[in-house]
Amino acid sequence: MNETSPPVVAAQGVSRSYRLGAAVVPAVRDVSLTIGEGEFAALQGPSGSGKTTLLNLLGLLDRPDAGTIEIEGKEAGSLSENARSDLRRDRFGFIFQTFNLIPVLSAEENVAYPMLLAGAPAEQARGRARELLDAVGLEEKFSVRPDLLSGGQRQRVAIARALANRPSIVFADEPTANLDSRTAEETLDLMRGVCESSRVAFLFATHDPRVVARARRVIELHDGRIESDRRVA
Amino acid sequence: MSPFAIALRNLARQRRRTVLLSAVVAFGFAAFALAGGFIAQSFEGLKEGTIRSVGQLQIVDRRAVGRSEETTLEFGLHDAARARAIASRVPGVASVLPRIDFVGLATNGAKSVPFLGVGVDPEPEAAATYAKELVTAGRYLSGDGGDGVVLGTGLASALNVRVGDRVTLMATTPDGSLNAVDGLVVGLADVRIKELNDRYLAAGAGLVWRLLQSPETVSKLVVFLKPGADESKTARALTNALSAAGYDVAIRHWRELATFYEQVKLLYIGIFGFVGAVLVIIVILSAAIVMTMAVTERTREIGTLRAMGTRPSGVLKMFLAEGVALALLGCLAGMLFALVVRAALNASGIILPPPPGATHGMPIHVRFYPLAYAAGTIAMIGTMAIASYFPARRASRMSIVEALAHV
Repeated sequence: MNETSPPVVAAQGVSRSYRLGAAVVPAVRDVSLTIGEGEFAALQGPSGSGKTTLLNLLGLLDRPDAGTIEIEGKEAGSLSENARSDLRRDRFGFIFQTFNLIPVLSAEENVAYPMLLAGAPAEQARGRARELLDAVGLEEKFSVRPDLLSGGQRQRVAIARALANRPSIVFADEPTANLDSRTAEETLDLMRGVCESSRVAFLFATHDPRVVARARRVIELHDGRIESDRRVA
Repeated sequence: MSPFAIALRNLARQRRRTVLLSAVVAFGFAAFALAGGFIAQSFEGLKEGTIRSVGQLQIVDRRAVGRSEETTLEFGLHDAARARAIASRVPGVASVLPRIDFVGLATNGAKSVPFLGVGVDPEPEAAATYAKELVTAGRYLSGDGGDGVVLGTGLASALNVRVGDRVTLMATTPDGSLNAVDGLVVGLADVRIKELNDRYLAAGAGLVWRLLQSPETVSKLVVFLKPGADESKTARALTNALSAAGYDVAIRHWRELATFYEQVKLLYIGIFGFVGAVLVIIVILSAAIVMTMAVTERTREIGTLRAMGTRPSGVLKMFLAEGVALALLGCLAGMLFALVVRAALNASGIILPPPPGATHGMPIHVRFYPLAYAAGTIAMIGTMAIASYFPARRASRMSIVEALAHV
C-alpha cells in the first residue's frame, strides 16, 4: 500500500446477521479489516465462517447491520443504491464460483458490458474487451457465447470482465471451485499476474489450498470473526 | 449494449415463451383491429343509411322545433317550391327533397288499414335515397308520381292488394275535414323494419297535396350536401338565405334525428368496450405470468448485472424493454393475422342475423380501419408495459446477495 493513499477497502467494526426463522444467526461479528492497493489476499475458513458474507459487505453487495465500510477513504454506508451501483461498476470487479456470464452475450460483449454501462463508446469498449480477452488467452473466442466455452474459458472471460473498468479491487468468491486442478492453477496464475502487473487488489473467499498457497495475505475467519491475519512473504 | 438489445437477445433465447406470448398479444391485437374495423364499417353503414334516409340537414318551420303537430301539416312549411329553389342555390347543397309526413287509412273497399305515409318528389327521391332499392315488386314512383303509390309489403298483405290494384287513401286535412283519393299500387317495398313495413306508404307530393288539400306545403325539406361540404356552415347559409326570403325556419342536423344511429353506436361501444377490457385483462394476466417466470429464471443473472453496477432502473428498463419488444412482435404478427382474417371474412359472404325489428341481415364486412390498428398497437404496448412492470420492479428491487445465491 502506498503511504499516502487510503486503503482500497476498509471495514471498521462490521457485523451482519441473518434471520433464519425465529433465530438470528450472526454471520460476521465486529470485523475490522483493510485491503490495500495490489494486495492478493485470501479469506479462509470453514463453511459458515462468514467469508462470503464479509466479501459481499466489502463489495457493497450487502449492507452491514453495524460498523462502517470505506472505499478509497470514503464512507459507503450513507450512499444511495445508485451511488453504490456506480461505485461497484467503476471501482470493483467480481468473479463468481459459477462464472455468472450473461448467457445471451458473446465473450466480447460480456467483457464490454461493464464499460458500456459506464458510458464508454462502443468501439472503445469493444477494443478493450478484445485486448482483455487476448490477455487471458481467449483471442479465438471473441464471438463465442458462454454455453459453448469450457469452465476454464468461462472463468477467464469472467476475469477479463472483472478487469474491464480498471477496478481497484476484484472480489472473487470461490473462483476455482468449479475448475479442474490444472485450469484452477492456470486461472490463479493469471490473476496473480494481473495483480502484479496492474496493482489491482484481489480478495478471495476460498476453501481452496491452492488459492491460499498463492495468496500474499491470508485472513482466517472463524464464526464470523477474524482469527488470524498473516502476510506471506 | 442497450437494455432493448439485451431484451431482444433474451426473447430469441426463450423462443417457445416468446412465440406463446407473441401469439397472445397477436390475438389481442387482431381482436382490436378486426372489431374496430367491423365497428367502423357498421357505423359508416349506419351513418350512410341514416343520411340517405333523413338527409344531412332538414329545413323545418321554426314552430315545429320541439313540438308535435296536433293536426296534419299544422307546422308545415308553406310555399315549398320557392323555399326549395332558394335552398338548392346555397353553396354546398347537392339536392333538396320535399317530404310530407301524413297518416291515414288505406282501404281496398272491404278492409281499411292505417298507414304512415310520405309524400315525395319521386325522381330526385329515388336518386338520393334507397327508396328505389327497397322495391321488391313493381316499380318505384316515377315522374311526379301521378296517382301511383308504393306500399310496404306488410301493408299490401294486410290490404290483400298487389301491384296494379287500386286503393283508396283517406286522411284528415289540416282544417279537420276528411278527404279521400284513389291511388294505383305501382310497387311494393320492403323497408327492412317489420313494424314500418306493415304501415309504409309512399306517394308523389301532388297526390298527397290533393288528399290533404294543402298545395305547396311540406313537413320538411330534406337537404343532401355535396361531398366535403361543411354541415354547420351550410346550415347557417341555408338559414340566412331562407330568412332573407321571409321564411322562419330551423335547421336540424342528421345526428339529432338519428336516434337509432346514436343508440346503436352506444350499444356497440359498450359491448366492444367490455370485450376489449376482458381482452386486455387476459393479455395482462398471461404476460404477467410469463414475465414473472422470466424474472424468476433469471434471478442470478439479475444479481450479476446488479453486482457489476447496473442500477435498479437499468434492470427495470431491461424487463420493460422485453415486454415492449414482445408487444411489438405480437402486434406485427397480429397485423398480418388480422389482414388475413379480414380478407377471409369479407370473402366469406356470411350474412349476419338481422338486428331486432329488422327483416334483413347484412353481409359481414370488416373495413381496414387504420385507427383501430394504431389503437391496437398502443393498447398492446400499454398492456405489456403494465404486465411487465410489476415483475420488472420486483427484479430491480431484489437483494443482490439473495439473487446471486438463487439456485
